[in-house]
Amino acid sequence: MAEPTPSAFILEPEIIERPNMLNIDNLHAGVEDHDILKGLTLNVPAGQVHAIMGPNGSGKSTLSHVVAGREDYEVTAGTVTLDGEDLFDLDPDERAAKGVFLSFQHPMEIPGVQTMTFIRTAVNAQRKARGEEEMSAAEFLRVIREKAKLVGLDDAKLKRPFNVGFSGGEKKRMEMLQMAMFEPRFAIMDETDSGLDIDALKMVGDVVNALRAPDRGFLVITHYQRLLDYIRPDAVHVLAGGRIVKSGGAELAAELESSGYDQFIEAA
Amino acid sequence: MNAPIPNPTPFEASVLNAYAARAEPNEAQVAAMERFARQRLPHRRIEGWKWTDFNAALRNVEAPAAAGDAVIEPSAFAALAPLEFRLVDGRIETPLEGMPEDVRYGVIDAMATIPDLETHPIVSLNVAMIRKALGIEIGEGVRLDRPILIRHIVSGAAPAFAQTLLRVGRGASVHVIETYEGAGTGFYSHLCHMAVRDEGRFHRTVLQETGAGAALHAICAAKIDGAAHYDQTTLTSGGRLARHETFLHYVADGASARIDSAALIGDERHSDITTNVLHIGQGCETRQAHKGVVRDRGRSVFQGKFHVLQGAQKTDADMQANALLLSDTAEANHKPELEIYADDVECAHGSTAGALDEDALFYLRQRGLDEKAARALLIEAFVGEPIDGVAHEGVREILRVKTADWLEADA
Repeated sequence: MAEPTPSAFILEPEIIERPNMLNIDNLHAGVEDHDILKGLTLNVPAGQVHAIMGPNGSGKSTLSHVVAGREDYEVTAGTVTLDGEDLFDLDPDERAAKGVFLSFQHPMEIPGVQTMTFIRTAVNAQRKARGEEEMSAAEFLRVIREKAKLVGLDDAKLKRPFNVGFSGGEKKRMEMLQMAMFEPRFAIMDETDSGLDIDALKMVGDVVNALRAPDRGFLVITHYQRLLDYIRPDAVHVLAGGRIVKSGGAELAAELESSGYDQFIEAA
Repeated sequence: MNAPIPNPTPFEASVLNAYAARAEPNEAQVAAMERFARQRLPHRRIEGWKWTDFNAALRNVEAPAAAGDAVIEPSAFAALAPLEFRLVDGRIETPLEGMPEDVRYGVIDAMATIPDLETHPIVSLNVAMIRKALGIEIGEGVRLDRPILIRHIVSGAAPAFAQTLLRVGRGASVHVIETYEGAGTGFYSHLCHMAVRDEGRFHRTVLQETGAGAALHAICAAKIDGAAHYDQTTLTSGGRLARHETFLHYVADGASARIDSAALIGDERHSDITTNVLHIGQGCETRQAHKGVVRDRGRSVFQGKFHVLQGAQKTDADMQANALLLSDTAEANHKPELEIYADDVECAHGSTAGALDEDALFYLRQRGLDEKAARALLIEAFVGEPIDGVAHEGVREILRVKTADWLEADA
């Protein structure tokens, strides 16, 4: 075989700045002619954790559902891309396979489906969609036991029907268990902290901090600053009236905690 | 004998011809035919039949006298090594060998009448038309490991009638699988009478999977003695009409039953699950769950009744009927009924009908399941309870596969 010519080794100039991972541009979305998001623009670079804070009714949950692909919302303008790929071209399960994970504010109960069976089905559905090999039963069992310990769910819970009869806190632990199992490219956490005690908040912080990586991004939607004591965000955005009205560093969260959202409600 | 039915429909006329063509009927059969002549084929103006009108479905069906050509494939349950009996268009085929000694069986005289069911028109017709029944008896204390499989094969267009008589001895235990198969388009009537003696345990799995043309009526009347248990799961995909009735009588104290059913109804099929549990003894317990999944123009009927007599104190009975409607033209009709004369009982019933939960569907899709897989998972979970209740693991697995096959056929 011939020696490769030197030109084959000429590299692209090194990219200093990482491209934005999640790119939301001028997003308008709502239900039945009623716009909830009114020109929302937000960029989250890979490796970063951004927090979105805002008053009730500002569109926080709408944003998370639109990014994840809920069909009840009509998108009237704007784009959302992940790694440059238009998410609106993809079904919710295709987005999941690309690495979009949503931790639900109100996780579902699924009677009749054993928790382990469900999570394994989901893990393997995502792997299959990506053309990867399915996880073996033994490997799955080993990994889920390890992660379950991390989120504070015992084995007995994993054998029960999914979320059935679980407390609000246990359901949030189950969301974190799934996030740890899927190892998503981009995770949106929709008020994961609501209804959690201090120990559980710390657990959520531990899971997020363990998953933080240069090729992974997070959008943490929250009402209060307290979760951000455990997850230090790279940026904080204020969502009010359907758009981002202020952005800043981690210190913005503390500022909001003392001054409240009233100024933004009026401004929006 | 002259035709006793005034202005018979073409179907009734062909049944009468078949009746007349038989050898001299006995006294009980003449009496049964006289009852049927008064009762006629049930129709929608009779309470209890308003959603399942056999007369309308069969009126203009002129049934040929000739039996069909039965093609009998191996049963889905063959892998469980069951003791297999076949009734082909009502003809009894019993196995010649391989039966354990503690199972007595044979072709016996048919029942002359069933107490409490003399007002039932199809029971009257069945008794009038049939001379021989399949009888199976499980001796006292016998615990049969292998299931008994009774296959009803509907192959022709002619009306066919079958009777089975089962006896479960004191303290005995058995699992009977009853299947309805075949591509026949005729009327098929099966009358089962059974008794479960003290402390006996009777498990029954009914699988209705005839073609879409059959008009099927199957009724099981069971007398349950003290501290005995009757355990039943019915899985049906309906037919032109397919009605499965269960009549349980708790004649002594401490008897119990689980009578669950799952109806998976598509195309233009029709299924009817009708049950009546008569609580006579004290401290009896009944659990009933019905799950109907209906798509296309299918129809799922459920009529459940708990009848608690004055002396049946400490009765504990619960009935739940839930329907999942997968299309705008799917239909579910539920009639849960309690008739209670005792004052110290716990009885409850509930009924729901709705579509697949969109929130749950989105949740599953967000986790990576495509739409078809997500829907299938939710539907399988919905019908899970009646199937999970089957004690025999092998039988349970086969019912799960049947459910998955039905869902797959939706593609």
